[in-house]
Amino acid sequence: MHLLGTELLEAREILPGQWLQTYHAPELATGSRAGQFVHVRTGDLSGLVLRRPFSIHTLDAATGTITIHFRTVGRGTEWFTHLRPGDNVDMLGPLGRPFEVDPRSQHLLLIAGGLGMAGVRALADEAIRAGRQVTLLFGAASARDVYPTSLLPDEVEYVVATDDGSMGHHGFVTDLLPRYEAWADQAFACGPEPMLQALARLAATRRSRMGVAKLGRKRGAGKGHAVGSPLARRKAFLQVSMEQRMGCAIGACLGCVVMATSGVPQRVCREGPVFASEEIDWEGAWGR
Amino acid sequence: MKAKRRVVTNSGGSTTAHRSSTLRRQRTSNALTSMGCKDSAVDMTTPRRGDATGRETVATADVDLSVDLGRGLVLPNPIMVASGTFGYGVEYGDVVDVDRLGGICCKGTTLRSRIGNPTPRVAETPGGMLNSIGLQNPGVDAVIAKYASTWEGWRVPVIVNVAGESVADYVEVVKRLDGIPGVAGIELNISCPNVGRGGLQFAIDADAAAGVTAAVRRATDLPLLVKLSPNVADIRPIARAIADAGADALTAINTLSGIAVGGSRQKPLLGNIYGGLSGPAIKPVALRIVYEVCQVVAIPVIAIGGITDIDDVLDFLAVGAVAVQVGTAIFADPTLPVRLVAELEGACRSGGFASYVPFVGTALPKRPSSPSSKGVEYRP
Repeated sequence: MHLLGTELLEAREILPGQWLQTYHAPELATGSRAGQFVHVRTGDLSGLVLRRPFSIHTLDAATGTITIHFRTVGRGTEWFTHLRPGDNVDMLGPLGRPFEVDPRSQHLLLIAGGLGMAGVRALADEAIRAGRQVTLLFGAASARDVYPTSLLPDEVEYVVATDDGSMGHHGFVTDLLPRYEAWADQAFACGPEPMLQALARLAATRRSRMGVAKLGRKRGAGKGHAVGSPLARRKAFLQVSMEQRMGCAIGACLGCVVMATSGVPQRVCREGPVFASEEIDWEGAWGR
Repeated sequence: MKAKRRVVTNSGGSTTAHRSSTLRRQRTSNALTSMGCKDSAVDMTTPRRGDATGRETVATADVDLSVDLGRGLVLPNPIMVASGTFGYGVEYGDVVDVDRLGGICCKGTTLRSRIGNPTPRVAETPGGMLNSIGLQNPGVDAVIAKYASTWEGWRVPVIVNVAGESVADYVEVVKRLDGIPGVAGIELNISCPNVGRGGLQFAIDADAAAGVTAAVRRATDLPLLVKLSPNVADIRPIARAIADAGADALTAINTLSGIAVGGSRQKPLLGNIYGGLSGPAIKPVALRIVYEVCQVVAIPVIAIGGITDIDDVLDFLAVGAVAVQVGTAIFADPTLPVRLVAELEGACRSGGFASYVPFVGTALPKRPSSPSSKGVEYRP
């Protein structure tokens, strides 16, 4: 984790209200992994006291750049859209724990809902570099919110679902999962919590529905490892990137917790943001 | 022996603030010579001896920022980090050299582990933030097991913030912390606004506050700080009662109770509905309370509330605080506290002072001011 001065190189609005910004940050570009995030400081004159967490959307070690992808939802994100190339921005990162791909996994299923693309996008690059096959299921409200195909690597199979049916499958992205889960060795998801919850339920019953455990895993796969440990994630079929309102982003303030099945709230910024789906208490009323 | 006025005015007096507490510490340590940690703390105070004459010292002399909070608790400088914003001190290790801080107040610690409040727990507000963590912590025994040995290796004193539901809880936690190497002191959190029984009931009543302070005082010889709540009509009788009950220093202030409304406006945003407001937005309130408290107690007062730069630090010193805690600002700028230490040293140097004592209490009235609190108008 470093405290870095980074320079904005490029900013563009890729979708209505959604921005993609490229920053020169060599330490982050080389030292980060898919699933990690940066905590970015807004300007002093903005009157905002908290940094803003952004997933590392893509990272390019060769050019020393990272990109972040965000939607303008308030004064903080609004402030970022006013930045111009050449402006300096203070970033804390890389933070959190990354996605862990089992070395034996060849078929990766990525599932993104809306801005959840920001969380899983880097994993697509990482997996393709490692010679794996990637299918990306993407859900959005309508065609105007669909992440542009041009920003994805050619190797990715991109399947779109829209709530209003204006593009691709008419319905939720979770409807698509049964078609791909037999193909997938592991799945990685980021998006609204109801989507993650639905995926987690599907993943939990996957073994009984499909009658076989992938990867030759033994009894109790995904269990028995400490919450947040890399092994617990690596052994899990479904890994989810969680979102929560965040304060310090380094584990000090305990603001951004999610309830774990162990009964102890886990910090999204420290134990997460990527969790094995079995680690999260999806059914409890706590925090919902 | 008891100083009438603890603060230093700019009228040319001596360093009464430090003198009174130094005398107090010497008495204490004479009475309690058995504890090794206290002896070493006494050694740390020796460089301070030059202070009394240091006021005329020219800029070339070294600036001594150390401050004695009583009972052997000597901070290397008056810039502390506030409870709840710095975890247990280890979290920020990658980006901050903790040993350059004046003191660390760790996350509120209770007897048994607590899972805290439901999420969302934080919300940004104009010039500040609301939090309702709800004292999530693993319990005092786990805290000791996990962090005490780390703290012991640090030069910076670590003060454990203690919360509880009953006097017995507070006493038991403090007893377990007593004698643990690495624990430099106790900050009694009787003012957490986020928990139904988080101790706030003690902070809003002078008798209850004095009761819990006295009980803890009997249970430990550790330096005892008590954190005041701003959510009261008149802070002075409470501050006086806590001081009389044996607290070594006061911390002012905890967060102000508030709420935020969620995006859909169907309910309050925070999972706990109520949260504590912190950040620059509360600085005027904190200044007012420190100003009031410093006029009625003879023990050191540590100010906290919305500090984001050196001017804020000097403001709080001017109304009588001898040390400050930085809290919410750390989230945006983790290196701020360490930078403030350097900037305070610079301020002393440019003023030609050998310590920051001349900054303390300059804005206090020459004689106690008329009641600044007119009753219910301050009620939150």
